[in-house]
This record gives sequence, structure tokens and C-alpha cells, in this order.
Amino acid sequence: MRDSFSLTYRNIKERKARAALTILGITVGIAAVIALMSIGYGMQESITAELVEMADVIVVMPMRMELGSIGTFGSFTDRDLDAVKRIGGVKHAVAMIGEMEEVEYRGEKFMVQIVGIEPRDMDAVFGETVKLEEDGGAGTEASGRALRDNDHKACEIGYSIAHDYFSNEVGVNDRLTINGTKFRVVGIIGKQGGFRSEVDSQIYITTRDSVSVLDNEDISTIFVRVRNIENAEEIAAEIEERIDDNHKLDDFTSAMTMGSAIEQMESIFGILQAVLIAISSISLIVAAMGIMNTILMSVMERTHEIGVMKAIGAKNRNILSLFLLEAGVISVIGGVCGCIAGVIGAHAITFGIQAAFDVEIAAIVKPEVLLGGIAVALVVGMLSGLYPARKASKMSPVEAVRYE
Amino acid sequence: MIHTENLTKIYRMGDAEVYALRDVNLEIKEGEFIAIIGSSGSGKSTLLNMIGCLDTPTSGSVFIDNVNTASLNENELAEIRREKMGFIFQQFNLVHTLNAVENVALPMFFAGVKRETRLKRAEELLVNVGLGDRIYHKPSELSGGQQQRVAIARALSNDPEIVIGDEPTGNVDTDTGNAIMDILEGLNKEGRTIIVVTHDAEIAAHAGRTKRMRDGRVLD
Ligand SMILES: Nc1ncnc2c1ncn2[C@@H]1O[C@H](COP(=O)(O)OP(=O)(O)O)[C@@H](O)[C@H]1O
Ligand SMILES: [Mg+2]
Repeated sequence: MRDSFSLTYRNIKERKARAALTILGITVGIAAVIALMSIGYGMQESITAELVEMADVIVVMPMRMELGSIGTFGSFTDRDLDAVKRIGGVKHAVAMIGEMEEVEYRGEKFMVQIVGIEPRDMDAVFGETVKLEEDGGAGTEASGRALRDNDHKACEIGYSIAHDYFSNEVGVNDRLTINGTKFRVVGIIGKQGGFRSEVDSQIYITTRDSVSVLDNEDISTIFVRVRNIENAEEIAAEIEERIDDNHKLDDFTSAMTMGSAIEQMESIFGILQAVLIAISSISLIVAAMGIMNTILMSVMERTHEIGVMKAIGAKNRNILSLFLLEAGVISVIGGVCGCIAGVIGAHAITFGIQAAFDVEIAAIVKPEVLLGGIAVALVVGMLSGLYPARKASKMSPVEAVRYE
Repeated sequence: MIHTENLTKIYRMGDAEVYALRDVNLEIKEGEFIAIIGSSGSGKSTLLNMIGCLDTPTSGSVFIDNVNTASLNENELAEIRREKMGFIFQQFNLVHTLNAVENVALPMFFAGVKRETRLKRAEELLVNVGLGDRIYHKPSELSGGQQQRVAIARALSNDPEIVIGDEPTGNVDTDTGNAIMDILEGLNKEGRTIIVVTHDAEIAAHAGRTKRMRDGRVLD
């Protein structure tokens, strides 16, 4: 075995440039597959990590317009909220009143989603993750405090509202004019990004202000947390049934569990990744042809030597394994280089994505993916080496010896 | 130990048929040193390739130790070449990427001999042909005569009963040629059967028996 390797090593060394190109071919193919898989896992992880922590959540929204009120979406009532609260297994049910309103700050106006919510419910909705900004940022004041039940004409604002929307930064205690009424900013929420990025461009006010000041009491979303995730689907079905009953409508309510959202997301990612890997496999096919070509040339060049080896007693399988080994060595070297290049590439690309799109994502390199990459390289190499190696092994000794 | 029966080899070149061998009946006894001489194109190499199990006849048969080689498959033929035969070529035909000792060890590698054993034996064989100081040289670093001695050592690697040489002196000068024939004579004295093809009568004189070929026939 050691001598087969040393023979192979010398044969490869003899045609360094050609071997290097072949190795490069398989390196590119394997690197593409590994990088795509690692980036894919990274994306999946960063998204599902956020979702998993919300796995006990059911988001209830009206699914279609209510009869007779064409042009506006339907909404829920306090009676619906109470009905949801009464369902067994429901831990929290929080109503949110949401509407786009004109917001003015120092002469600039934007349409912004205003969310009316009971301040004490905000923790139930956001859990541990949505927090006030750690620090107001360089030169600005601290980020204030959370909204309280007894606040009047006060608001807590998302990160983008504070920093991006208006040409002037909005700070704590500044005043925003919402639909003609001045609201004082009591707190700025830390940057969410990613899956919760909508929080960044929302303004939160108390339900009371929403009703009395903005004259809006239509509940647009009921946010539910269940006690036991396993019952989430049943509870979601019950919620739909109860609210539909209240409104005497079919399919009026959509209660979506986060579990099903995660599943959906995962299957979309699965498909996406499969497609990308299929595309990158094309480069593996090209690499396979490169290996086949290299081994064919090697066989051609060594026809005479094959004849001599047969004359001195080599069996067909001795010759076969010699060339298969050459293909195997080339492809494993390519596979290892491909793994290294793939890992570097995956990190470089996720770094680029982070910088360009401002999202938290890190490539996840799984050891089994690396091993798989080398295994695929080996299999591709051996399969493409098989034809030339068989051709070599089947040569007639006399004719091969004659060949110059 | 070796005999042929009506051995015939026909090469077809388009419509023309070339009789490389015509009804050759030859018997070679164990321990014999036989030289086959004849002009170029008379069929010497073709005959040797048949005896050496490198090629198959168009008709007729080759018997080695009373076994008809036509009844053997490729693997069995390879085993005969590996165990019973040692081949020496006019062009030496060493593997140019391997050094002398590795070349000599190659047939033992195919035979599955352990690495240490075969390298040790290869070294001894090189010492025996007077190349003890050249064992790590590449073929390109050796003279023609030295390369041919490496090739002889290689032919002996699996301790064959039969050594076959196709113009083994054809590419070396007369003195070297005689030295090579001396080595072969020595091998014959050890009891090996030696079959050598040459077109040089002086070289053939080293053999115990000489056969002449012409137009694919062995003359009496
Ligand atoms: N592979 C081949 N194809 C066609 N003709 C061949 C082939 N090998 C040998 N011959 C012919 O057979 C005859 C005998 O060749 P060969 O045995 O090589 O002669 P020698 O070794 O005595 O010079 C020659 O006429 C040669 O041209
Ligand atoms: Mg000849």
C-alpha cells in the first residue's frame, strides 16, 4: 500500500501543473457546496433561534374583510379578547391596536405604525428579548424607561424611529406629534433587526391613549402565549372557532402558531438549500470530468509502463487500483482543499452579508458536512477514475509494451 | 518444460495477412539455454511473446509444464508471468519514476511480498548483478548496461524458472553485451531455463543450443 502511494505520489508529481488544475477543479466544487451548506445552516439557525424562543406564541389576526365594511380590514373586539382569555391553556392574551398614523417631528412627517397596548402586557408580548436601548448612543441621553399603565400622551419608540426616520435624532423626552397630538418619548427600544425588525419602526402607546386620544379601539392583533407548546395547535383552532362564532362568520380569524411558522420556514430553507446545492453540484460534475480527463491522459502517457508492469506480472486489478488510487488521491486533496476554502468562503460571505444587510448571521460549519465533502470528493474521484482505470487494466500487454 | 504445437500468429493489415508465426513446433527443456536467431521481422519477438504468455496465438498452442496456456484466463496468465517467468527487454523498460531497488522490487509488490522482505531481496539481487552501489539511482542516472542489469535483477525478483530476453544486448555495446550474456549463463548454471532472442551470432554463441527463424518458421 505504501508503495502504491509512493508510485501515485511520483506520478502526480511528474505532472504537477495538470494535477494542480484538476485539484483546483474539485476544490471549487466542494468549496461551493460546503460554503452554501454552512451559510444555509447559519441562516436557518439565526432565524429559527429567534422563532424557537417564541414557540409558545399564537398570533391571531383577522383574515379577511368583514362583510359590509369593504375597504377596511376586520378587527376584533374586547369580547373576542375575553373569549380567548377563557380558553384553557392560554397563559396570556394581549390585544394590540394598530394603525398607520401621521407622525411629525420638527417639521418632518412620516406614516408610522402606532401600536396601542396595555403597558403591563408588553413583557408578555416581547418576552426577554425586546429591551430598551442599553445606551442612548454616543452623545445622547440614556434610553429612558418602559411605558407605564398610568402614562398619558407618552410613547415608547422603535430604534429606527429614534435614529433613522427623521433627519434629527429623536431622544428621550422629545415630543412627537401623532395625528395632531403631542406625545412625549419615554423610552427607546433597542435595535431588533432580523425577524423582529418591524418593532424597530413602530411606536407604542397605551391602549387608553389609543382609544381616547387617537379614537381607535379596533383590535388588530391578539397575541397569545400558551402554557404548553404541545397544545398550541388545538388552542389555535379553538381560538378561530370562538372568534368566528362571535362574529357569526366562517374563516374570519387566522390563529397562527409559531411552531407552524418555524416548520414552514424550515421547509422553505430546506428547499432553498437543496436548490443551491444542486446548482453547485454542477461544478462537481465539471470537476469529475476534469478528473476523468487527467486520469485518461495519465493512462495514455503510461501505456508503455502499463504493458511493462503486466509483462512482469501485474494483474488487471493491480493496474486498476494504481489508477484508482491516483484518482482518489487527487480528489481527496481537492476535497480537503475544498473544505478549507469552503469554510473560509462561508465565513467571508456571512461577514459580507452582515456588513451589507445589517443582520446577525454566522456560518455554521458542521463536522459532518466537512466529512461529507471529502467523502463526496472521493466518490466523485473514484467514479470518474473508474473508466480510465478499467481501460488501463484491460490493455493487452504486448500492444501496451509496443506503444511508445 | 515448454513446447509449442503448430503455433501460428497472423496479423491482418487491411486485406493483407502477415504470418508472423507459421506452424511453429518447438520444444525447450528444463534448464536449457537456447538462443533464437534470425533477421529482423522473422517472428522472433512474436514467438517469445507467445512463450512469455503476453500474447495469444491465432491457432496452435503453447504448453508450459504441460498446461495449455489457451485454457488460462488473464489472471492465471499474469500469475504465470509473475511466478515462472522473468522478462528482459531490449529497451530495458524500467519504470522511470522508480529507483533501481524499487524497480527490482516491483514484481514482488505485485506478488504481495512484504515491503521489508522485498526491498531486502531487491538489494541483494542488485548486489549480485554488481550494482550494490547504485541501488537508489533512478534509471535516467544509469548507463544502458547498468539499466539492463537492473532489468535482469528485476526479472529474477520472484525467482522464476524461466528467463526470457528479447534482444537483451541489442541496445548496449559488445563488451557490455558479453557481460550481460555472462550473467545469463550464470543464471543457467543455477538451473534456470534461459531463452534469448538475438540477431547477433556472437551473442548466440553463449547459448547451449541455437535455433534460427525465417519468415515465421523455426528452421531445423
Ligand atoms: N502488432 C503487429 N501488427 C502487425 N504486424 C505485426 C505486429 N507485430 C509484428 N508484426 C509483424 O510480424 C512479423 C514478425 O515480427 P516480429 O516478431 O517483431 O519480428 P522480429 O522480432 O523477429 O523482428 C513482422 O513482419 C512484423 O511486421
Ligand atoms: Mg523483435
